[in-house]
Amino acid sequence: MSGRRPSRFENWLDAERALAQRAIAGAVGLGALAALLLIAQAWLLAWTLAGAVLQRTPLHQVLTQLWPLVPIVAGRFAVAALTEQTGMRGAIAIKEGLRDRLVRHLHALGPVFLHARHSGEVATAVVDGVEALESYYARYLPQKALALLVPVAILAFVLPRDWISALVLVASAPLIIVFMILIGSGAERRNQRQWRELARMSAHFLDALQGLVTLKIFNAARREADVIARVSDEYRRSTMAVLRIAFLSSLVLEFFSAVGIALVAVLIGFRLLRGDLGLEAGLFVLLLAPEYFLPLRTLGTHYHARMEAIAAAERIAGILEAPVPGSARAVTCPALGRAFDLRFDDVHFAYEPGRDALRGASFTLQPGRVAALVGPSGAGKSTVLNLLLGFVHAQRGRVLVGGHDLADIDPAYWLAHVAWLPQRPHLFEGSILDNIRLGKPGASVEAVRAAAREADADEFIGRLRQGYDTPVGERGQNLSGGQVQRIALARAFLKDAPLILMDEATASLDSETEARVVAALARLARGRSLLVVAHRLRTVVAADHIVVMDAGRVVEEGTHEVLARTGGLYARLVRAHDVVPDLAPPPTPDPTPDSAPAAALRPD
Amino acid sequence: MRGDLKLARRLLVLAGPYRRWLALGALCATLTQLAGVGLMAVAGWFIAAMALAGVAGTPINYFLPAALIRAFAIVRTGGRYVERVVTHEATFRLLAQLRTWFFRRIEPLAPARLERRRSGDLLERIQADIDTLQNAYLRLLVPFAVGIASALVAAIVLVRVIPQAVVPVMVLMLVAGAAVPIAMRRLGEAPGTARIEARAALRMAVIDGVQGMAELRVYGAAQAQARRIHALTQALNAQQLRLARLSGLSAAIVGLCASGAMWAVALEGVVLVSRGALMPAALPMLALFVLASFDAIGPLPGAMQQVGETFAAARRVFELVDATPEVAEPKGGSPTPGDAGITLRGVRMRYGTDEAWALDGLDLELPPGRRIAVVGPSGAGKTSIVRLLLRFREYQEGTVHFGGHDLRRYRGDDLRSRIAVVSQDTWLFDTTILDNLRIADPRASDEDVFRAARAAQIHDFIVSLPEGYRTCVGEAGIKVSGGQARRIAIARALLKDAPVLLLDEPTEGLDPQTGHALVESIETLMAGRSVLVITHRLAHLGDRVDEVLVLEQGRVVERGTPAELLRRGGRYARHRDHLALPGEAY
Repeated sequence: MSGRRPSRFENWLDAERALAQRAIAGAVGLGALAALLLIAQAWLLAWTLAGAVLQRTPLHQVLTQLWPLVPIVAGRFAVAALTEQTGMRGAIAIKEGLRDRLVRHLHALGPVFLHARHSGEVATAVVDGVEALESYYARYLPQKALALLVPVAILAFVLPRDWISALVLVASAPLIIVFMILIGSGAERRNQRQWRELARMSAHFLDALQGLVTLKIFNAARREADVIARVSDEYRRSTMAVLRIAFLSSLVLEFFSAVGIALVAVLIGFRLLRGDLGLEAGLFVLLLAPEYFLPLRTLGTHYHARMEAIAAAERIAGILEAPVPGSARAVTCPALGRAFDLRFDDVHFAYEPGRDALRGASFTLQPGRVAALVGPSGAGKSTVLNLLLGFVHAQRGRVLVGGHDLADIDPAYWLAHVAWLPQRPHLFEGSILDNIRLGKPGASVEAVRAAAREADADEFIGRLRQGYDTPVGERGQNLSGGQVQRIALARAFLKDAPLILMDEATASLDSETEARVVAALARLARGRSLLVVAHRLRTVVAADHIVVMDAGRVVEEGTHEVLARTGGLYARLVRAHDVVPDLAPPPTPDPTPDSAPAAALRPD
Repeated sequence: MRGDLKLARRLLVLAGPYRRWLALGALCATLTQLAGVGLMAVAGWFIAAMALAGVAGTPINYFLPAALIRAFAIVRTGGRYVERVVTHEATFRLLAQLRTWFFRRIEPLAPARLERRRSGDLLERIQADIDTLQNAYLRLLVPFAVGIASALVAAIVLVRVIPQAVVPVMVLMLVAGAAVPIAMRRLGEAPGTARIEARAALRMAVIDGVQGMAELRVYGAAQAQARRIHALTQALNAQQLRLARLSGLSAAIVGLCASGAMWAVALEGVVLVSRGALMPAALPMLALFVLASFDAIGPLPGAMQQVGETFAAARRVFELVDATPEVAEPKGGSPTPGDAGITLRGVRMRYGTDEAWALDGLDLELPPGRRIAVVGPSGAGKTSIVRLLLRFREYQEGTVHFGGHDLRRYRGDDLRSRIAVVSQDTWLFDTTILDNLRIADPRASDEDVFRAARAAQIHDFIVSLPEGYRTCVGEAGIKVSGGQARRIAIARALLKDAPVLLLDEPTEGLDPQTGHALVESIETLMAGRSVLVITHRLAHLGDRVDEVLVLEQGRVVERGTPAELLRRGGRYARHRDHLALPGEAY
């Protein structure tokens, strides 16, 4: 079965074994030692039994010769106790290294890569995929070596005593291997299907669990249960398809080993009857015959581990071999200070060939100002942010910060200058405290509270029963949207970066919360540069500079007053939404109730 | 370990539908094991007898032993295959059933009892934990049945043939098959439980890291996250190493017992043969018989070592299955509502006995066809009304009537079938747009679906997609914008065609222009229904309602028609002004 055309992923697995090399060698050595001790014990037993059967040797005479039994039994005990953990140590080293690399590679690939994938599927590869390698390195690989070594060792002892039995044993082994190959040929494909089925099931369950409330509202949970039943049943079918092959191959293996043992026994029996062979040698060979086939049978039980590992390797390699964007160049850490300009110089970018997001975007932003990016959806606004965040890299043209090409700057060093406020900030498993000091784990509670005060979050956090130690659930389930945003703002305050990038939340908050968020944002923007992908006129109007984008290009730039009168895309955008463009906007982002003539603005 | 038996019994009961399959599997496994024992014993006897006959020059009937060897070999080989197929098939069918069962049981818990749990945690339970339960059947139930049967047969044979060896062999069998497994259960419990917990923590951390990747990068926390995952991997591995050490040790002890038992019989046999009390040819037979009997004992300690892990998984599954839903379903069927009118009188509701009242004496009258808006700052209790009406949450005081009957007399499903909801957190499932719409009415014809989509003004967008209504949305599919998702939600509500409509911040999460553009579709949806709008964006819907309730800290502080309230110039008027600022309307 090991003689099969090695697949690409088996080679990959093999290349990864370096970390476990010593452990695997140790496990093989222990296995070989166990086989030798077993042979010795078989010989002692054969000697004892033969003497008793033929000569009726009394016990005291037998006992004088049995002293090697003590070291043999002790040795077998020690070897058995050590084997499992030796192999496991190797597997552990590999799992640790591999998961580490996976996580780091995922970090390097960044969110844009992950955006296209199921988070459940990625997690399955990182958690279960890596775990699935354990048996391969801990058991399958050592056993693969032992499946050759042990039978050879047994043959070496059998051959001098009984060449006919040796011949029978030698002849039956290749037969088994041939049959195993025939049966195993379809197994790999099926096993990969099985892995896909698992990932599919996982994704489906996650989807159903996350949408449980929606299902309930539509009374669709019962129907979904039927779908769950179907998906689970498909998983069962593919599992059984794989297992049935494994069982069939072990059936073949057992059948041939049974035939082999029976043939050895019968041939020994007739030669004993004719006196061609001594009982001691006959018993010795008969005792060893099952042991000759045992390593192969054990390998058969670990064969599943190999297939699982290959399927897992495909997933893992699929992530590890994804190219990291823009990592090829040598990077520097130029001094940027707290005031640097941003310049897009004819920047092109496509997420996929033919799907251009930016086609020659050029603009410049001065430091210390508030700039708003506006444009219809699909204009390339998010891509501008993704470029500045280093999630993607310009494919043509340059992004310059403080006159340095962003592609030449160490990404971590650059990001130290950036704070980011996404539309839906992610809160991590942990306390509010840890979530605020995400970027500065060492920050004191006092510093965190100061940042929270700036973000207008200290008050509501203080009202929570556990205060800053309140654990936050998925998507901040126990916090309101405005509270999550203020925690994200506190993060940004604590980070104290000179450049703030923001994807303005489209979610409207209630007026009071919104006023608080806007005021906190205004405090944050003080003395910093703020680039905001804006969705609200108020934000746009308050900006020092407006960049209007359309179809991957910058089509207009300027202030609200100028752009609104130019009659270009910006003016059309504003007018299209029933807003009188030349109406005096509130002068500050801080809303003062009762200030605007509401009736004139009623959208209907 | 306490509670093991209870848990084991419960797992057995769960396997009820497949108990015949499992029993058949155990029977096959026992036959297989006994055939293996017979094969070794007969072969030992055959060899010795042939040798003795050869030495003595006497004739011997070798046809019977040869036939027995063949028969045993066939039963052993075929029996193992049948046993494996039967037990695995039964177990995996059972697991598939358990997943559905689990889902059905946690569904009533949503959302109140599940909102503090991460979906990764739920996923772990329905997938990995239920998978782990296979050990209970494949590695515990069947092997122990075989082990016990095999030990009994060994005892009977030894009593009849070599009673002097019964005590040492049985003691060693008990050590290997009972004492060691029990010790392994004790010693394996802590690492087994820790292993499952470590794996769950690891999965959560990985999902967390994947979903929050952008933040990790920008805030320079990727390293810390990688280190955290590394530490969790190490914790998981440490437990696995402990378990490997234990299983190595137990395998060594079982091996020692097997050798000991075989040598005990062999040496006892030597004495008996030398005294002439035992046929010489029986000696190898007995030694091999005992050795082979231990094959059934060998897997038991390892199986017991996994009990900790298996039972921990079972506990995690049962923990949720046994949780009582927040809202109890009535015993009988639901009453038939007179109409779709809703009345709340003095309703108080809170989320915990030491929490503040989320609704504090609410009165609300929503007769059929009326439209009421509830406004107020976040935390005022607006969404609590929706949760209450959908029976997602229980209220503590006051009365609620739907169609003239107490709300508590309705089954949740029956109530919800009369209420359509458009909210900010509409989930789009990972399937086609068509299926996502049909969730509201699986029997809806294509034409019905198209009509709803047209009314929600999403039809044109859908047909512009390359695959039209067959386009997949959700995590794996195309990304629909917030506005499009909301239109799909409106189309869903139209398809559902319920007399009561709850609009829970229907334009929340959308930029104002998109929200404004939805108003026309929402108007279509509202036609002919009683409507409760929860909003703080009156700009969109404020003038389309008959009554406005201003809610603060669970109390109605103002109520009246929009015009009255504007004239009165109270909180609503201030809100109204603010909500209509240009920034809102853009």
